[in-house]
Amino acid sequence: MGQMLGSYDARKVGLYMDDQPTFDPQAGFNYQRKSREMVAREADLISAKIPPKHRDYCAHYLLEYQSCRYKNMPLIYKCAHEKHAFLTCEKDDYELRMKEFERERRLRLREKRLVGAY
Amino acid sequence: MASTLLKKAIFSNPATVRKTLGIFCNATRNHWNYQYMPGPYPKTLEEREAAAKKYGMTIEEYQPYPESMGYGDYPKLPEIGEDSKDPHYPYDNPELKRNFNEPIHARMEIFGGDRYDPSMKRRFSLAHQWLWFFGVVGGSFALFFFLEDYKVGRPVTAKQYPWAGPHYLFEAK
Repeated sequence: MGQMLGSYDARKVGLYMDDQPTFDPQAGFNYQRKSREMVAREADLISAKIPPKHRDYCAHYLLEYQSCRYKNMPLIYKCAHEKHAFLTCEKDDYELRMKEFERERRLRLREKRLVGAY
Repeated sequence: MASTLLKKAIFSNPATVRKTLGIFCNATRNHWNYQYMPGPYPKTLEEREAAAKKYGMTIEEYQPYPESMGYGDYPKLPEIGEDSKDPHYPYDNPELKRNFNEPIHARMEIFGGDRYDPSMKRRFSLAHQWLWFFGVVGGSFALFFFLEDYKVGRPVTAKQYPWAGPHYLFEAK
């Protein structure tokens, strides 16, 4: 489901937007999940004055984009590819969070079903 | 006037000139001088008569404010807003609907035509106004408290940061 009603149904299991996942990340998988890698170094991010709220797993794309802007300052259209790469990474990150939300919701429903409360 | 003042200052009475100049300066710059101050509160009947005479009123009309208000012997005039005065009467000062030497109300600033008229006819009754006020504000609060239990948002978990990790992708190693 889409935007506003996206988390409406999940309140039945007490799950809301921006909640933390509570189950074991490996639960229910028959393979080892790949862990996310932070590519950018913290020191570089601090040096580039990237604010802490942007120091996520896409920070290396942001770093590249910002340094490109710095190099070509008046002609920032030259950084279109860097910007696109960064925004694509952010989109994938958001998608991952949506998947985690859905996984959490289904796991909670399953737990309720197993306990017999639902 | 300037030459007269100058003559007075030089020849006859420099103290009076200083005083007059002081009053003019005060009236134009500070809008107040000590001569505007009312006398002390009248306690005896003679004082009352004197005060009534000072303000050009009869003793029956004259009624000072309570002493605790600090208005001294200034008379308590009827509270008539400018809008309630007859617009067709030939006033000396038609802009303010006021005659020459007519006593000014102690709180005349509020009774101007652009401000407040105590006998104004309300467009809506007070009860009507309160009803609408509490209807809107109370209704908003009621809606707010009712919707506390129906929070909705986008279907995402918290943003993942490396310092809060480890986090996992949905693919095999």
